[in-house]
Amino acid sequence: MNKNEQQQKMRETAARLLDAGEAAYVIGFGETRFPEKTSILFAHNAEEADRFVWNDACVQSLAKYLLEDRFADYRVGIFARGCESRAINRMIKDNQFKRDHVHILGIPCEGVNAKRCASCAVHNPVVYDELLWDAVPEPNPETARFARAEAVEAMGPEERYAYWSDVYSRCIRCYACRQACPVCSCRECYVDMDRQGFQGKRHSVSDNQTFGVTRAFHVADRCIECGECERVCPMGLPILGQTQKIIKDITQLSGDYQAGMNAEDGNFLGAFDLDDKDDFM
Amino acid sequence: MSKIGVFVCHCGTNISSVVDVYKVAEAAAQMPGVSYAAEYKYMCSEPGQQMILDAIKEHGLNRIVIAACSPRMHETTFRKMLKKSKINEYLLEIANIREQDAWVHPPGEEATEKAIDLVRMAVAKVAKNEPLKSSLIPITKKALVVGGGIAGIQAALDIADAGHEVVLLEREPSIGGRMVMLDKTFPTLDCSACISTPKMVDVSAHPNIKLLTYAEVAAVKGYIGNFTVTIRQKAKYVNQDICTGCGICEDKCPKKVTSEFNKGLSDRPAIYKLFPQAVPAKPVIDRETCLMLQNGKCGICAKVCPVEGCIDYEAKDVEYDEDFGAVILATGYKLVDWGGMYDEYGAGRYPDVIDGLTFERLVNASGPTEGHIQRPSDGKEPKTVVIVKCVGSRDPKKGKPYCSRACCMYAAKHAHQILDKIHGARVFIFYIDVRTPGKNYEEFYDQTRKDGAVYVRGRVSRIYSDGEGLVCQGEDTLLNKQVRVKADLVVLETAMEPNEGAGELTGLFGASRDVNGWIQEAHPKLRPVETQVGGVFLAGACQGPKDIPDTVAQASAAAAKVIGLLNQDEMETSPMIAAIDESKCSGCGACEPICPYRAITLETIRSREGRFTNAERVIAKVNAGLCQGCGACTVACRTGAIDLLGFRNAQILTEVDALWQ
Ligand SMILES: Cc1cc2nc3c(=O)[nH]c(=O)nc-3n(C[C@H](O)[C@H](O)[C@H](O)COP(=O)(O)OP(=O)(O)OC[C@H]3O[C@@H](n4cnc5c(N)ncnc54)[C@H](O)[C@@H]3O)c2cc1C
Ligand code: SF4
Ligand code: SF4
Repeated sequence: MNKNEQQQKMRETAARLLDAGEAAYVIGFGETRFPEKTSILFAHNAEEADRFVWNDACVQSLAKYLLEDRFADYRVGIFARGCESRAINRMIKDNQFKRDHVHILGIPCEGVNAKRCASCAVHNPVVYDELLWDAVPEPNPETARFARAEAVEAMGPEERYAYWSDVYSRCIRCYACRQACPVCSCRECYVDMDRQGFQGKRHSVSDNQTFGVTRAFHVADRCIECGECERVCPMGLPILGQTQKIIKDITQLSGDYQAGMNAEDGNFLGAFDLDDKDDFM
Repeated sequence: MSKIGVFVCHCGTNISSVVDVYKVAEAAAQMPGVSYAAEYKYMCSEPGQQMILDAIKEHGLNRIVIAACSPRMHETTFRKMLKKSKINEYLLEIANIREQDAWVHPPGEEATEKAIDLVRMAVAKVAKNEPLKSSLIPITKKALVVGGGIAGIQAALDIADAGHEVVLLEREPSIGGRMVMLDKTFPTLDCSACISTPKMVDVSAHPNIKLLTYAEVAAVKGYIGNFTVTIRQKAKYVNQDICTGCGICEDKCPKKVTSEFNKGLSDRPAIYKLFPQAVPAKPVIDRETCLMLQNGKCGICAKVCPVEGCIDYEAKDVEYDEDFGAVILATGYKLVDWGGMYDEYGAGRYPDVIDGLTFERLVNASGPTEGHIQRPSDGKEPKTVVIVKCVGSRDPKKGKPYCSRACCMYAAKHAHQILDKIHGARVFIFYIDVRTPGKNYEEFYDQTRKDGAVYVRGRVSRIYSDGEGLVCQGEDTLLNKQVRVKADLVVLETAMEPNEGAGELTGLFGASRDVNGWIQEAHPKLRPVETQVGGVFLAGACQGPKDIPDTVAQASAAAAKVIGLLNQDEMETSPMIAAIDESKCSGCGACEPICPYRAITLETIRSREGRFTNAERVIAKVNAGLCQGCGACTVACRTGAIDLLGFRNAQILTEVDALWQ
């Protein structure tokens, strides 16, 4: 199936779902005035569903929009690639909603954008109610996933410190990364609290660094590596690489670790077992 | 407005010889929020406490800082004191200027400056403290003792004698544990059965004790004062109410299996009592080996049993819940499987290389040889016996790093028994050290040497057969020479290790174990019979290798704790526990698996969420009875929805900030 046929299939499936009343609306991509950009389209009926698009401009993650209606008593439909499906698993694991709350239209995807999808390790949705077309081959696991973490590791301590200091001297603390992150599901983010004590509101390198490190740790074992944080960063800061460095460490400690592959496992950093490795002690 | 009083203690000269306490008090008086500061020789003494109480009245103080020893020492003392005043007892901070300052620094300016810093931090924190109130929880006045060895027996009897109900739960068909396997007990050499079986009978006859044998703990819910334990009673297939214990079935059962109790030195039938003096004195059918239960052919015991309907092959395991206020774990020990550890000792290939418990059965008058020491291979009486101590103990490479404590003494006992029973016998004991720190222990060891036991200092490196018999080869480190001893029998005094299944059981109660798997006491010195879980106590060898005197002492100590608990109708819980801010909690559940006491559960609530007026959402809840205030959950929560009352993140950060002011 080529992309046009796939797009047609998506429109038809969404229309069928909405006609049957199985979901209040379906989340997908829509057109904008600019050919290289898409918007998020919430289609409530078959007519609206006919406006769904599927092309290489579909770079946003749809999953985060599920959190908007996490308390709704109706079901929500959503198109899900590998990345979205993992985000959904994570949300279910984090008790944001029950599996039954979403109708997942699985859309296998080999990547839409070279930059965004460079380190993608999971092309096919890992959870879905229906798969719209045949599964695609998964990427070679050896490639790319930790390329950026490895680049950081290759630096010496001083170089690395200079590198991150530079990155965080440019952070403007707009929190777009947090806003876009599909696994950031706290009701109130610690950065928005006043006087919680350790995160200064000032615009200084040290407060920015505190934010950077805390953000990375808060998401590290939940991060599904979709790269939304980096994509939305107006300053173009390489922050997924930072999170992936922690994920790589986890992988070294525990064997393969990929968040959101199911809705049961996870919370590596928040688990304790007497048999945990403690070679560092 | 906080009106803080700071009281600096000299602790005799403990603090004042290093820290200038007058200067600390002067500096404290200048700190923000402080309206009064004073020093005194012994703050914890009666006049010291009175001085504080007077100052509270006179200066209208509403928060207190005491700069003295560790809060572990006297925090409770000063909290109690505050109950006599208008100040809530949690509006108190202790600045530890003894252990954290005077005791670890030389006298001088710097020590004084550090004391001032510590006081400043405490002052900053106390200003942020909030009054806390403890709550009362009811107590179920019944105790569960798991494990019917001498530890469990003693504890059950003590609690029952104090007038409380006890359930003593043992997984074997009889209580008695390892002690009833022993022949004589050091250092007095009284017969083990003579001193333990009367206690076993007391247990079964005591009106306050319900004895459950052949039973297990399947699940545990609840917390101190309020445990609900699911007990699994294994089917015994013999109606214990009507069985007369006549034993005909045991005689007639055609199936013979190796007796675990006699350590493989004899057989037992499939329907059996663990040993003749077993309590209860009624047999059970071992379903793994019974011909009838395995393949439906036999049924002889039912035919020979004189009591109608006593044997019931259809019996089933039953599970039921029972409530308890307190629990004692007394699951004992087992000996290590030395064969797997020491290939050089033949790894179990030689029948005449045995462990200590096997020897106890060999020398036991009610054992399979009626107390005649006959070696397993050919039943001959051994003339030369080698005893090897510390097999698997004190050997971090192959075995256990710890000392098994009882072996030095029972090795001497075994030597004595051999020399006593076998005329002209020779006994060589290979040892690393001889440790006899107990009443009359050194004397006993001395006597054994006088009796003729030869102590050889060194480890045995190899045990092999030279065709005629066993040879023990080792180094005599005192002579600096290799020695070889031809032995007719070798007794390995092997290491104790936690009993089978102790880990799972401890886990069910939420208690923890140390690196070697022994149940962990709450504090090695000050709380030796408590676990970290409120209401769960421990006794005997399950906590670490122990001999009988220590086991019994510990059992009575644990019983005293239980009696103290059960004497109350309700108990105060510490208010310094985790509190969840429901408005912030997203229900992610990160905290739930972290809690070592399983105090956190996820619950579904309904609340107004934006336009959804009756939305369902998950939140975490802390059970005040279970939470021990460890704070582990507070760091797991990314949004900071959990705070430890009395140690709120904000309070601690204020304290840290004060250090840099
Ligand atoms: C060879 C040898 C000789 C010894 N000689 C002496 C001596 O002369 N003098 C002396 O003072 N000490 C001696 N000891 C030490 C003595 O055996 C122990 O001090 C004593 O038995 C400890 O008693 P206990 O009740 O703690 O444990 P145990 O005797 O091990 O009893 C534990 C009981 O708990 C039960 N149990 C275990 N797990 C569970 C469970 N999950 N559920 C239900 N029940 C369970 C077991 O079946 C057992 O009945 C000797 C030890 C050895 C190995
Ligand atoms: S970790 Fe925090 S947000 Fe998550 S369930 Fe626990 S209290 Fe709630
Ligand atoms: S403080 Fe938190 S982790 Fe610790 S016992 Fe209480 S609920 Fe459990």
